[in-house]
Amino acid sequence: MFLPTHLSVRFERWGTAAENAILVIFFGAMMLLAVAQIFLRIFFSFGFIWADELVKFFVLWIALVASIAASRSDRHLRIDILSQFIAHKHVKLPRAVANIFAAFVCGFLAWHSWRYIQLSIDFGDTVLTGLPAWIAYILLPVSFLLMAYRFMLAVGSEISAFFGRDSEIGNTK
Amino acid sequence: MILSLLLIILALFGAPLFTVIAASAMLGYYREGIDMMAMAIEVIGLANMPMLSAIPLFTFAGYLLSESGAPRRLVNLTTALFGWLPGGLALVALAACAFFTAFTGASGVTIIALGALLYPALQQDGYPDNFNLGLVTTSGSLGLLFAPSLPLILYAVVAEISIQELFKAGVLPGLLMLALLGGYCLWMNRDNRQPLKEFSWQRVYTAVGAAKWEIPLPIFVLGGIYSGLFAVSEAAAVTALYVLVVEVFILREISMKQLPDVMRESMLLVGGILIILAVSLASTNYMIDAGIPQKLLEYITNFVSSQASFLFLLFIFLLILGAILDIFSAVVLVVPLILPIAALYDVNQFHLGIIFLAAMQLGYLTPPVGLNLFIASYRFDRPIMNVYAATLPFLMILMVCVFIIMYWADLSLWLLTH
Repeated sequence: MFLPTHLSVRFERWGTAAENAILVIFFGAMMLLAVAQIFLRIFFSFGFIWADELVKFFVLWIALVASIAASRSDRHLRIDILSQFIAHKHVKLPRAVANIFAAFVCGFLAWHSWRYIQLSIDFGDTVLTGLPAWIAYILLPVSFLLMAYRFMLAVGSEISAFFGRDSEIGNTK
Repeated sequence: MILSLLLIILALFGAPLFTVIAASAMLGYYREGIDMMAMAIEVIGLANMPMLSAIPLFTFAGYLLSESGAPRRLVNLTTALFGWLPGGLALVALAACAFFTAFTGASGVTIIALGALLYPALQQDGYPDNFNLGLVTTSGSLGLLFAPSLPLILYAVVAEISIQELFKAGVLPGLLMLALLGGYCLWMNRDNRQPLKEFSWQRVYTAVGAAKWEIPLPIFVLGGIYSGLFAVSEAAAVTALYVLVVEVFILREISMKQLPDVMRESMLLVGGILIILAVSLASTNYMIDAGIPQKLLEYITNFVSSQASFLFLLFIFLLILGAILDIFSAVVLVVPLILPIAALYDVNQFHLGIIFLAAMQLGYLTPPVGLNLFIASYRFDRPIMNVYAATLPFLMILMVCVFIIMYWADLSLWLLTH
Protein backbone atom coordinates (compact mmCIF):
# COMPACT_ATOMS: atom_id res chain seq x y z
CA MET A 1 0.00 0.00 0.00
CA PHE A 2 2.94 2.25 0.62
CA LEU A 3 5.26 0.91 -2.02
CA PRO A 4 4.87 -0.45 -5.53
CA THR A 5 4.11 -4.16 -5.30
CA HIS A 6 7.24 -5.59 -6.87
CA LEU A 7 9.42 -3.46 -4.64
CA SER A 8 7.60 -4.40 -1.46
CA VAL A 9 7.70 -8.09 -2.35
CA ARG A 10 11.43 -7.81 -2.82
CA PHE A 11 11.67 -5.96 0.50
CA GLU A 12 9.80 -8.82 2.14
CA ARG A 13 12.18 -11.41 0.81
CA TRP A 14 15.31 -9.49 1.72
CA GLY A 15 13.93 -8.61 5.12
CA THR A 16 13.09 -12.20 5.98
CA ALA A 17 16.49 -13.39 4.78
CA ALA A 18 18.25 -10.70 6.80
CA GLU A 19 16.28 -11.54 9.96
CA ASN A 20 17.01 -15.22 9.55
CA ALA A 21 20.72 -14.61 8.97
CA ILE A 22 21.01 -12.34 12.00
CA LEU A 23 19.07 -14.75 14.20
CA VAL A 24 21.26 -17.66 13.12
CA ILE A 25 24.44 -15.71 13.78
CA PHE A 26 23.35 -14.32 17.15
CA PHE A 27 21.88 -17.58 18.34
CA GLY A 28 24.85 -19.65 17.17
CA ALA A 29 27.29 -17.24 18.79
CA MET A 30 25.37 -17.22 22.05
CA MET A 31 25.21 -21.01 22.18
CA LEU A 32 28.89 -21.53 21.38
CA LEU A 33 30.01 -18.83 23.77
CA ALA A 34 27.93 -20.30 26.60
CA VAL A 35 29.22 -23.82 25.96
CA ALA A 36 32.81 -22.58 25.71
CA GLN A 37 32.45 -20.87 29.10
CA ILE A 38 31.26 -24.12 30.69
CA PHE A 39 34.11 -26.03 29.11
CA LEU A 40 36.66 -23.51 30.36
CA ARG A 41 35.13 -23.47 33.83
CA ILE A 42 34.97 -27.22 34.29
CA PHE A 43 38.29 -28.18 32.75
CA PHE A 44 40.45 -25.13 33.36
CA SER A 45 38.65 -23.37 36.22
CA PHE A 46 38.78 -20.28 34.09
CA GLY A 47 36.40 -17.99 32.24
CA PHE A 48 36.16 -14.64 30.52
CA ILE A 49 34.22 -12.10 32.52
CA TRP A 50 33.06 -10.33 29.36
CA ALA A 51 31.66 -13.57 27.94
CA ASP A 52 28.84 -13.78 30.46
CA GLU A 53 27.91 -10.17 29.80
CA LEU A 54 28.05 -10.76 26.06
CA VAL A 55 25.74 -13.78 26.33
CA LYS A 56 23.23 -11.55 28.10
CA PHE A 57 23.47 -8.94 25.36
CA PHE A 58 22.88 -11.68 22.80
CA VAL A 59 19.65 -12.50 24.62
CA LEU A 60 18.57 -8.86 24.35
CA TRP A 61 19.52 -8.67 20.68
CA ILE A 62 17.81 -11.96 19.86
CA ALA A 63 14.69 -10.71 21.65
CA LEU A 64 14.68 -7.55 19.54
CA VAL A 65 15.39 -9.16 16.17
CA ALA A 66 12.93 -11.96 16.92
CA SER A 67 10.33 -9.32 17.74
CA ILE A 68 10.78 -7.76 14.32
CA ALA A 69 10.36 -11.24 12.85
CA ALA A 70 7.28 -11.81 14.99
CA SER A 71 5.67 -8.62 13.75
CA ARG A 72 6.38 -9.65 10.17
CA SER A 73 4.84 -13.08 10.68
CA ASP A 74 2.00 -11.76 12.86
CA ARG A 75 3.13 -13.89 15.77
CA HIS A 76 3.18 -11.42 18.63
CA LEU A 77 1.25 -12.59 21.66
CA ARG A 78 -2.20 -11.01 21.64
CA ILE A 79 -5.55 -11.53 23.25
CA ASP A 80 -7.29 -13.11 20.31
CA ILE A 81 -10.82 -13.07 21.60
CA LEU A 82 -12.73 -11.06 18.99
CA SER A 83 -12.12 -13.54 16.20
CA GLN A 84 -14.00 -16.13 18.27
CA PHE A 85 -17.20 -14.14 18.13
CA ILE A 86 -17.09 -11.97 15.04
CA ALA A 87 -16.90 -12.93 11.40
CA HIS A 88 -13.39 -13.19 10.04
CA LYS A 89 -13.75 -10.20 7.75
CA HIS A 90 -15.17 -7.88 10.37
CA VAL A 91 -12.32 -8.56 12.78
CA LYS A 92 -10.07 -6.74 10.34
CA LEU A 93 -11.32 -3.31 11.33
CA PRO A 94 -10.64 -3.45 15.09
CA ARG A 95 -7.41 -5.22 14.24
CA ALA A 96 -6.43 -2.30 12.02
CA VAL A 97 -7.17 0.14 14.85
CA ALA A 98 -5.09 -2.01 17.21
CA ASN A 99 -2.21 -2.11 14.76
CA ILE A 100 -2.26 1.66 14.21
CA PHE A 101 -1.93 1.95 17.97
CA ALA A 102 0.90 -0.63 17.99
CA ALA A 103 2.75 1.24 15.26
CA PHE A 104 2.37 4.46 17.19
CA VAL A 105 3.71 2.92 20.41
CA CYS A 106 6.66 1.36 18.60
CA GLY A 107 7.46 4.66 16.93
CA PHE A 108 7.41 6.32 20.32
CA LEU A 109 9.69 3.67 21.80
CA ALA A 110 12.06 4.04 18.85
CA TRP A 111 12.26 7.81 19.30
CA HIS A 112 12.90 7.65 23.05
CA SER A 113 15.47 4.89 22.81
CA TRP A 114 17.22 6.96 20.15
CA ARG A 115 17.28 9.87 22.60
CA TYR A 116 18.68 7.57 25.25
CA ILE A 117 21.45 6.44 22.93
CA GLN A 118 22.46 10.04 22.25
CA LEU A 119 22.61 10.63 25.95
CA SER A 120 24.71 7.55 26.46
CA ILE A 121 27.12 8.74 23.75
CA ASP A 122 27.39 12.13 25.49
CA PHE A 123 28.17 10.45 28.79
CA GLY A 124 30.65 8.08 27.16
CA ASP A 125 28.98 4.98 28.67
CA THR A 126 30.81 1.72 28.03
CA VAL A 127 29.87 -1.95 28.10
CA LEU A 128 31.85 -5.21 28.00
CA THR A 129 35.52 -4.23 28.03
CA GLY A 130 35.37 -0.56 27.23
CA LEU A 131 33.20 -0.80 24.12
CA PRO A 132 30.98 2.27 23.58
CA ALA A 133 27.56 1.37 24.95
CA TRP A 134 25.65 2.69 21.92
CA ILE A 135 26.91 -0.28 19.89
CA ALA A 136 25.05 -2.61 22.22
CA TYR A 137 21.96 -0.40 22.32
CA ILE A 138 21.62 0.64 18.68
CA LEU A 139 19.35 -2.28 17.84
CA LEU A 140 16.75 -0.82 20.18
CA PRO A 141 15.57 2.15 18.05
CA VAL A 142 16.22 0.23 14.84
CA SER A 143 14.02 -2.69 15.82
CA PHE A 144 11.20 -0.57 17.24
CA LEU A 145 11.22 1.52 14.08
CA LEU A 146 11.04 -1.58 11.89
CA MET A 147 8.22 -2.94 14.03
CA ALA A 148 6.32 0.33 13.63
CA TYR A 149 6.78 -0.01 9.87
CA ARG A 150 5.56 -3.63 9.95
CA PHE A 151 2.46 -2.74 11.94
CA MET A 152 1.62 0.04 9.47
CA LEU A 153 1.92 -2.44 6.59
CA ALA A 154 -0.42 -4.77 8.46
CA VAL A 155 -2.91 -1.92 8.84
CA GLY A 156 -2.82 -1.45 5.08
CA SER A 157 -3.51 -5.08 4.32
CA GLU A 158 -6.22 -5.30 6.98
CA ILE A 159 -8.07 -2.30 5.64
CA SER A 160 -7.93 -3.56 2.08
CA ALA A 161 -9.06 -7.01 3.27
CA PHE A 162 -11.97 -5.38 5.07
CA PHE A 163 -13.06 -3.67 1.89
CA GLY A 164 -12.92 -6.97 0.11
CA ARG A 165 -9.74 -6.78 -1.86
CA ASP A 166 -7.05 -9.38 -1.35
CA SER A 167 -3.80 -7.82 -0.45
CA GLU A 168 -0.56 -8.91 -2.00
CA ILE A 169 1.56 -8.32 1.05
CA GLY A 170 0.88 -8.55 4.73
CA ASN A 171 0.85 -11.67 6.79
CA THR A 172 3.41 -13.91 5.16
CA LYS A 173 3.09 -16.95 7.33
CA MET B 1 -9.03 6.08 34.00
CA ILE B 2 -10.50 6.66 30.55
CA LEU B 3 -7.09 6.12 29.01
CA SER B 4 -6.62 2.86 30.93
CA LEU B 5 -10.01 1.71 29.70
CA LEU B 6 -8.98 2.60 26.17
CA LEU B 7 -5.87 0.44 26.55
CA ILE B 8 -7.98 -2.52 27.66
CA ILE B 9 -10.23 -2.08 24.64
CA LEU B 10 -7.20 -1.94 22.36
CA ALA B 11 -5.90 -5.14 23.96
CA LEU B 12 -9.24 -6.81 23.29
CA PHE B 13 -9.11 -5.53 19.72
CA GLY B 14 -5.96 -7.62 19.38
CA ALA B 15 -3.18 -5.08 19.82
CA PRO B 16 0.09 -6.90 20.52
CA LEU B 17 0.29 -7.20 24.30
CA PHE B 18 3.73 -5.72 24.51
CA THR B 19 2.52 -2.46 22.97
CA VAL B 20 -0.37 -2.27 25.43
CA ILE B 21 1.97 -2.84 28.35
CA ALA B 22 4.51 -0.35 27.00
CA ALA B 23 1.77 2.23 26.56
CA SER B 24 0.51 1.76 30.11
CA ALA B 25 4.04 2.16 31.46
CA MET B 26 4.57 5.30 29.39
CA LEU B 27 1.27 6.66 30.60
CA GLY B 28 2.45 6.08 34.16
CA TYR B 29 5.77 7.78 33.46
CA TYR B 30 3.98 10.71 31.91
CA ARG B 31 1.79 11.18 35.00
CA GLU B 32 4.78 10.96 37.32
CA GLY B 33 6.83 13.30 35.17
CA ILE B 34 9.50 10.70 34.45
CA ASP B 35 11.44 11.04 31.20
CA MET B 36 10.34 8.47 28.62
CA MET B 37 13.97 7.57 28.06
CA ALA B 38 13.49 5.39 31.12
CA MET B 39 11.59 2.99 28.85
CA ALA B 40 14.77 2.32 26.91
CA ILE B 41 16.70 1.76 30.12
CA GLU B 42 14.12 -0.78 31.31
CA VAL B 43 14.14 -2.67 28.00
CA ILE B 44 17.93 -2.82 28.12
CA GLY B 45 17.44 -4.22 31.62
CA LEU B 46 16.55 -7.48 29.88
CA ALA B 47 20.30 -7.91 29.44
CA ASN B 48 20.75 -7.88 33.23
CA MET B 49 18.35 -10.68 34.07
CA PRO B 50 20.00 -13.89 35.20
CA MET B 51 19.40 -17.25 33.49
CA LEU B 52 17.41 -15.71 30.66
CA SER B 53 19.53 -17.31 27.95
CA ALA B 54 17.94 -20.61 29.01
CA ILE B 55 14.70 -19.54 27.32
CA PRO B 56 15.92 -19.22 23.71
CA LEU B 57 18.29 -22.17 24.10
CA PHE B 58 15.73 -24.65 25.44
CA THR B 59 13.07 -23.44 23.02
CA PHE B 60 15.35 -24.00 20.05
CA ALA B 61 16.32 -27.46 21.30
CA GLY B 62 12.64 -28.32 21.71
CA TYR B 63 11.66 -27.17 18.23
CA LEU B 64 14.59 -29.03 16.71
CA LEU B 65 13.62 -32.22 18.54
CA SER B 66 10.02 -31.92 17.41
CA GLU B 67 11.07 -31.48 13.77
CA SER B 68 13.32 -34.55 13.91
CA GLY B 69 12.44 -38.21 14.29
CA ALA B 70 12.71 -37.93 18.08
CA PRO B 71 8.91 -37.93 18.71
CA ARG B 72 8.56 -41.23 16.83
CA ARG B 73 11.45 -42.78 18.75
CA LEU B 74 10.01 -41.55 22.05
CA VAL B 75 6.62 -43.09 21.28
CA ASN B 76 8.26 -46.36 20.22
CA LEU B 77 10.30 -46.49 23.39
CA THR B 78 7.39 -45.75 25.72
CA THR B 79 5.22 -48.24 23.85
CA ALA B 80 7.88 -50.92 24.27
CA LEU B 81 8.06 -50.15 27.98
CA PHE B 82 4.39 -49.61 28.88
CA GLY B 83 2.36 -50.68 25.86
CA TRP B 84 1.75 -54.17 27.23
CA LEU B 85 -0.12 -52.86 30.27
CA PRO B 86 -3.93 -52.70 30.21
CA GLY B 87 -4.89 -49.31 28.78
CA GLY B 88 -1.27 -49.19 27.80
CA LEU B 89 -1.47 -46.94 24.80
CA ALA B 90 -3.36 -44.24 26.68
CA LEU B 91 -0.68 -44.35 29.37
CA VAL B 92 1.98 -44.20 26.67
CA ALA B 93 0.34 -41.06 25.33
CA LEU B 94 0.33 -39.40 28.75
CA ALA B 95 3.90 -40.32 29.62
CA ALA B 96 5.42 -39.48 26.25
CA CYS B 97 3.56 -36.16 26.00
CA ALA B 98 4.49 -35.11 29.52
CA PHE B 99 8.11 -35.85 28.88
CA PHE B 100 8.14 -34.13 25.53
CA THR B 101 6.33 -31.04 26.79
CA ALA B 102 8.80 -30.63 29.62
CA PHE B 103 11.56 -30.45 27.05
CA THR B 104 9.76 -28.30 24.49
CA GLY B 105 8.20 -25.76 26.78
CA ALA B 106 4.46 -26.11 26.41
CA SER B 107 4.15 -24.09 23.25
CA GLY B 108 1.77 -26.39 21.47
CA VAL B 109 4.45 -28.31 19.59
CA THR B 110 3.62 -31.46 21.56
CA ILE B 111 0.20 -31.81 19.95
CA ILE B 112 1.66 -31.30 16.54
CA ALA B 113 4.69 -33.54 16.98
CA LEU B 114 3.30 -36.34 19.17
CA GLY B 115 -0.45 -36.05 18.73
CA ALA B 116 -0.12 -36.79 15.05
CA LEU B 117 1.52 -40.12 15.94
CA LEU B 118 -0.62 -41.04 18.93
CA TYR B 119 -4.07 -40.09 17.69
CA PRO B 120 -4.23 -42.62 14.82
CA ALA B 121 -2.52 -45.26 16.96
CA LEU B 122 -5.13 -44.87 19.71
CA GLN B 123 -7.87 -45.07 17.10
CA GLN B 124 -6.41 -48.27 15.72
CA ASP B 125 -6.36 -49.82 19.16
CA GLY B 126 -10.11 -49.31 19.47
CA TYR B 127 -10.26 -46.41 21.92
CA PRO B 128 -13.36 -44.24 21.49
CA ASP B 129 -12.79 -41.31 19.19
CA ASN B 130 -13.78 -38.50 21.53
CA PHE B 131 -11.65 -39.98 24.27
CA ASN B 132 -8.63 -39.94 21.96
CA LEU B 133 -9.24 -36.38 20.90
CA GLY B 134 -9.57 -35.23 24.50
CA LEU B 135 -6.56 -37.20 25.63
CA VAL B 136 -4.27 -35.88 22.92
CA THR B 137 -5.47 -32.29 23.38
CA THR B 138 -4.97 -32.46 27.14
CA SER B 139 -1.58 -34.11 26.89
CA GLY B 140 -0.25 -31.18 24.90
CA SER B 141 0.44 -29.18 28.02
CA LEU B 142 0.84 -31.96 30.55
CA GLY B 143 4.56 -31.79 31.32
CA LEU B 144 4.38 -28.14 32.24
CA LEU B 145 5.37 -28.75 35.85
CA PHE B 146 8.39 -30.87 35.00
CA ALA B 147 11.89 -29.47 34.54
CA PRO B 148 13.10 -27.88 32.36
CA SER B 149 9.82 -26.50 31.03
CA LEU B 150 9.80 -22.93 29.81
CA PRO B 151 6.99 -21.61 32.05
CA LEU B 152 8.84 -22.89 35.14
CA ILE B 153 12.01 -21.07 34.09
CA LEU B 154 10.14 -17.89 33.24
CA TYR B 155 8.27 -17.96 36.53
CA ALA B 156 11.47 -18.36 38.53
CA VAL B 157 13.12 -15.50 36.64
CA VAL B 158 10.17 -13.17 37.12
CA ALA B 159 9.58 -14.07 40.78
CA GLU B 160 13.33 -14.03 41.46
CA ILE B 161 13.32 -17.42 43.14
CA SER B 162 15.65 -20.39 42.70
CA ILE B 163 14.96 -22.28 39.47
CA GLN B 164 16.37 -25.52 40.87
CA GLU B 165 14.04 -25.42 43.85
CA LEU B 166 11.03 -24.62 41.67
CA PHE B 167 11.94 -27.60 39.48
CA LYS B 168 11.86 -29.80 42.58
CA ALA B 169 8.56 -28.34 43.72
CA GLY B 170 6.92 -29.25 40.41
CA VAL B 171 7.78 -32.96 40.44
CA LEU B 172 5.10 -34.38 42.75
CA PRO B 173 2.22 -32.15 41.58
CA GLY B 174 3.15 -33.08 38.00
CA LEU B 175 3.09 -36.76 38.90
CA LEU B 176 -0.29 -36.28 40.59
CA MET B 177 -1.74 -34.97 37.33
CA LEU B 178 -0.27 -37.93 35.45
CA ALA B 179 -1.60 -40.40 38.02
CA LEU B 180 -5.16 -39.04 38.07
CA LEU B 181 -5.38 -38.76 34.29
CA GLY B 182 -3.88 -42.24 33.97
CA GLY B 183 -6.45 -43.60 36.40
CA TYR B 184 -9.23 -41.97 34.43
CA CYS B 185 -7.94 -43.50 31.19
CA LEU B 186 -7.90 -46.97 32.73
CA TRP B 187 -11.36 -46.55 34.21
CA MET B 188 -12.87 -45.21 30.99
CA ASN B 189 -11.55 -48.11 29.02
CA ARG B 190 -12.30 -50.82 31.53
CA ASP B 191 -14.79 -52.39 29.11
CA ASN B 192 -12.55 -52.03 26.14
CA ARG B 193 -10.32 -54.95 27.13
CA GLN B 194 -7.63 -55.48 24.59
CA PRO B 195 -5.86 -58.80 24.64
CA LEU B 196 -2.75 -57.93 26.64
CA LYS B 197 0.23 -57.53 24.44
CA GLU B 198 3.34 -59.32 25.36
CA PHE B 199 6.23 -57.51 26.89
CA SER B 200 9.24 -58.14 24.77
CA TRP B 201 12.82 -57.44 25.73
CA GLN B 202 13.71 -57.60 22.09
CA ARG B 203 11.37 -54.70 21.38
CA VAL B 204 12.71 -52.63 24.26
CA TYR B 205 16.24 -53.32 23.10
CA THR B 206 15.44 -52.17 19.55
CA ALA B 207 13.65 -49.03 20.78
CA VAL B 208 16.50 -48.15 23.11
CA GLY B 209 18.96 -48.69 20.30
CA ALA B 210 17.02 -46.36 18.02
CA ALA B 211 16.84 -43.65 20.67
CA LYS B 212 20.39 -44.08 21.91
CA TRP B 213 21.31 -40.50 21.04
CA GLU B 214 18.34 -38.92 22.78
CA ILE B 215 18.33 -41.06 25.94
CA PRO B 216 21.41 -39.37 27.47
CA LEU B 217 19.71 -35.98 27.10
CA PRO B 218 17.33 -36.04 30.08
CA ILE B 219 19.96 -37.80 32.14
CA PHE B 220 22.64 -35.20 31.76
CA VAL B 221 20.29 -32.21 31.69
CA LEU B 222 18.36 -33.15 34.81
CA GLY B 223 21.36 -34.78 36.46
CA GLY B 224 23.51 -31.77 35.68
CA ILE B 225 20.96 -29.32 37.05
CA TYR B 226 20.04 -31.23 40.21
CA SER B 227 23.63 -32.16 41.08
CA GLY B 228 24.66 -28.54 40.77
CA LEU B 229 27.21 -29.22 38.04
CA PHE B 230 25.33 -26.94 35.63
CA ALA B 231 23.35 -23.79 36.16
CA VAL B 232 20.06 -23.93 34.26
CA SER B 233 21.32 -21.57 31.56
CA GLU B 234 24.40 -23.76 31.12
CA ALA B 235 22.32 -26.91 30.88
CA ALA B 236 20.26 -25.14 28.23
CA ALA B 237 23.36 -24.25 26.19
CA VAL B 238 24.67 -27.81 26.36
CA THR B 239 21.25 -29.21 25.42
CA ALA B 240 20.89 -26.89 22.43
CA LEU B 241 24.34 -27.73 21.10
CA TYR B 242 23.93 -31.45 21.75
CA VAL B 243 20.55 -31.64 20.02
CA LEU B 244 21.92 -29.62 17.10
CA VAL B 245 24.91 -31.93 16.66
CA VAL B 246 22.84 -35.12 17.02
CA GLU B 247 19.90 -34.24 14.79
CA VAL B 248 21.77 -32.31 12.12
CA PHE B 249 25.20 -33.92 11.94
CA ILE B 250 24.89 -37.44 13.34
CA LEU B 251 21.34 -38.55 12.50
CA ARG B 252 21.00 -36.03 9.66
CA GLU B 253 17.26 -35.79 10.06
CA ILE B 254 17.30 -32.03 9.69
CA SER B 255 19.29 -30.54 6.86
CA MET B 256 21.47 -27.47 7.14
CA LYS B 257 19.01 -25.82 4.79
CA GLN B 258 16.07 -26.39 7.15
CA LEU B 259 18.02 -25.19 10.15
CA PRO B 260 17.48 -21.42 9.74
CA ASP B 261 13.74 -21.99 9.38
CA VAL B 262 13.54 -24.08 12.55
CA MET B 263 15.61 -21.47 14.33
CA ARG B 264 13.38 -18.65 13.11
CA GLU B 265 10.24 -20.52 14.06
CA SER B 266 11.47 -21.13 17.60
CA MET B 267 12.73 -17.56 17.96
CA LEU B 268 9.32 -16.14 16.97
CA LEU B 269 7.95 -17.55 20.20
CA VAL B 270 11.01 -16.44 22.16
CA GLY B 271 10.85 -12.91 20.75
CA GLY B 272 7.17 -12.69 21.62
CA ILE B 273 7.82 -13.71 25.22
CA LEU B 274 10.98 -11.70 25.81
CA ILE B 275 9.69 -8.42 24.38
CA ILE B 276 6.72 -8.65 26.75
CA LEU B 277 9.11 -9.37 29.59
CA ALA B 278 11.22 -6.35 28.59
CA VAL B 279 8.39 -3.81 28.55
CA SER B 280 6.88 -5.38 31.67
CA LEU B 281 10.06 -4.51 33.53
CA ALA B 282 9.02 -0.90 32.98
CA SER B 283 5.35 -1.31 33.83
CA THR B 284 6.07 -3.44 36.91
CA ASN B 285 8.55 -0.94 38.26
CA TYR B 286 6.05 1.82 37.72
CA MET B 287 3.26 -0.12 39.40
CA ILE B 288 5.44 -0.90 42.40
CA ASP B 289 6.53 2.73 42.65
CA ALA B 290 2.92 3.82 42.49
CA GLY B 291 2.09 1.40 45.30
CA ILE B 292 -0.44 -0.60 43.29
CA PRO B 293 0.30 -3.95 45.00
CA GLN B 294 -0.31 -2.27 48.36
CA LYS B 295 -3.61 -0.80 47.22
CA LEU B 296 -4.64 -4.17 45.84
CA LEU B 297 -3.62 -5.70 49.12
CA GLU B 298 -5.67 -3.31 51.22
CA TYR B 299 -8.63 -3.91 48.99
CA ILE B 300 -8.37 -7.67 49.16
CA THR B 301 -7.80 -7.87 52.91
CA ASN B 302 -11.22 -6.27 53.29
CA PHE B 303 -12.93 -9.42 52.07
CA VAL B 304 -10.44 -12.17 52.50
CA SER B 305 -9.25 -13.20 55.89
CA SER B 306 -7.87 -16.71 55.61
CA GLN B 307 -5.28 -18.35 53.40
CA ALA B 308 -7.83 -20.87 52.21
CA SER B 309 -10.22 -18.23 50.95
CA PHE B 310 -7.37 -16.29 49.39
CA LEU B 311 -6.29 -19.40 47.49
CA PHE B 312 -9.82 -19.97 46.27
CA LEU B 313 -10.08 -16.40 45.05
CA LEU B 314 -6.70 -16.80 43.36
CA PHE B 315 -7.92 -19.95 41.65
CA ILE B 316 -10.98 -18.20 40.20
CA PHE B 317 -8.83 -15.29 39.11
CA LEU B 318 -6.27 -17.54 37.42
CA LEU B 319 -8.98 -19.50 35.68
CA ILE B 320 -10.35 -16.34 34.09
CA LEU B 321 -6.86 -15.08 33.36
CA GLY B 322 -5.92 -18.37 31.74
CA ALA B 323 -8.97 -18.24 29.52
CA ILE B 324 -7.91 -14.96 27.93
CA LEU B 325 -4.14 -14.75 28.32
CA ASP B 326 -1.36 -17.15 27.34
CA ILE B 327 0.73 -18.59 30.14
CA PHE B 328 3.87 -16.59 29.33
CA SER B 329 2.22 -13.17 29.32
CA ALA B 330 0.28 -14.09 32.43
CA VAL B 331 3.44 -15.00 34.33
CA VAL B 332 5.22 -11.82 33.34
CA LEU B 333 2.31 -9.50 34.02
CA VAL B 334 0.57 -10.91 37.03
CA VAL B 335 3.22 -12.63 39.14
CA PRO B 336 4.90 -9.41 40.39
CA LEU B 337 1.49 -8.19 41.57
CA ILE B 338 0.38 -11.29 43.43
CA LEU B 339 3.74 -12.09 45.07
CA PRO B 340 3.41 -9.55 47.92
CA ILE B 341 -0.26 -10.42 48.45
CA ALA B 342 0.43 -14.15 48.63
CA ALA B 343 3.27 -13.48 51.06
CA LEU B 344 0.82 -11.73 53.37
CA TYR B 345 -1.36 -14.84 53.42
CA ASP B 346 1.69 -16.93 54.17
CA VAL B 347 1.69 -18.84 50.91
CA ASN B 348 5.11 -20.35 50.29
CA GLN B 349 6.65 -18.80 47.16
CA PHE B 350 7.45 -22.15 45.52
CA HIS B 351 3.98 -23.45 46.32
CA LEU B 352 2.53 -20.29 44.81
CA GLY B 353 4.57 -20.85 41.66
CA ILE B 354 3.25 -24.37 41.23
CA ILE B 355 -0.34 -23.27 41.91
CA PHE B 356 0.01 -20.47 39.39
CA LEU B 357 1.39 -22.66 36.62
CA ALA B 358 -0.95 -25.57 37.32
CA ALA B 359 -3.96 -23.26 37.17
CA MET B 360 -2.66 -21.61 34.02
CA GLN B 361 -2.27 -25.04 32.48
CA LEU B 362 -6.04 -25.28 32.63
CA GLY B 363 -6.08 -22.16 30.50
CA TYR B 364 -4.71 -24.19 27.58
CA LEU B 365 -7.94 -26.16 27.65
CA THR B 366 -10.60 -23.62 28.61
CA PRO B 367 -12.89 -22.15 25.99
CA PRO B 368 -13.04 -19.77 24.26
CA VAL B 369 -9.39 -19.23 23.51
CA GLY B 370 -7.47 -22.21 24.94
CA LEU B 371 -4.43 -22.71 22.73
CA ASN B 372 -4.48 -26.52 22.77
CA LEU B 373 -8.12 -26.58 21.70
CA PHE B 374 -7.32 -24.63 18.57
CA ILE B 375 -4.19 -26.51 17.71
CA ALA B 376 -6.05 -29.81 18.10
CA SER B 377 -9.02 -28.58 16.10
CA TYR B 378 -6.71 -27.46 13.33
CA ARG B 379 -4.37 -30.44 13.45
CA PHE B 380 -7.02 -33.17 13.56
CA ASP B 381 -9.51 -31.26 11.44
CA ARG B 382 -12.37 -31.40 13.92
CA PRO B 383 -14.89 -28.66 14.72
CA ILE B 384 -13.87 -26.64 17.75
CA MET B 385 -17.09 -27.42 19.64
CA ASN B 386 -16.29 -31.09 19.27
CA VAL B 387 -12.85 -30.54 20.77
CA TYR B 388 -14.35 -28.55 23.68
CA ALA B 389 -16.70 -31.41 24.51
CA ALA B 390 -14.08 -34.12 24.14
CA THR B 391 -11.64 -32.27 26.40
CA LEU B 392 -14.13 -31.39 29.13
CA PRO B 393 -13.78 -34.55 31.30
CA PHE B 394 -10.01 -34.24 31.23
CA LEU B 395 -10.28 -30.57 32.14
CA MET B 396 -12.43 -31.51 35.14
CA ILE B 397 -9.82 -33.97 36.36
CA LEU B 398 -7.07 -31.42 35.99
CA MET B 399 -9.19 -28.98 37.96
CA VAL B 400 -9.41 -31.50 40.78
CA CYS B 401 -5.62 -31.81 40.60
CA VAL B 402 -5.20 -28.05 40.89
CA PHE B 403 -7.45 -28.07 43.96
CA ILE B 404 -5.38 -30.78 45.58
CA ILE B 405 -2.18 -28.93 44.71
CA MET B 406 -3.61 -25.73 46.14
CA TYR B 407 -4.75 -27.06 49.49
CA TRP B 408 -2.02 -29.62 50.03
CA ALA B 409 1.09 -27.46 50.17
CA ASP B 410 3.33 -30.32 51.24
CA LEU B 411 2.83 -32.02 47.92
CA SER B 412 4.81 -29.17 46.35
CA LEU B 413 7.15 -28.60 49.25
CA TRP B 414 7.98 -32.12 50.38
CA LEU B 415 10.89 -32.56 47.97
CA LEU B 416 12.29 -29.19 49.02
CA THR B 417 12.54 -30.19 52.64
CA HIS B 418 13.63 -33.78 52.21
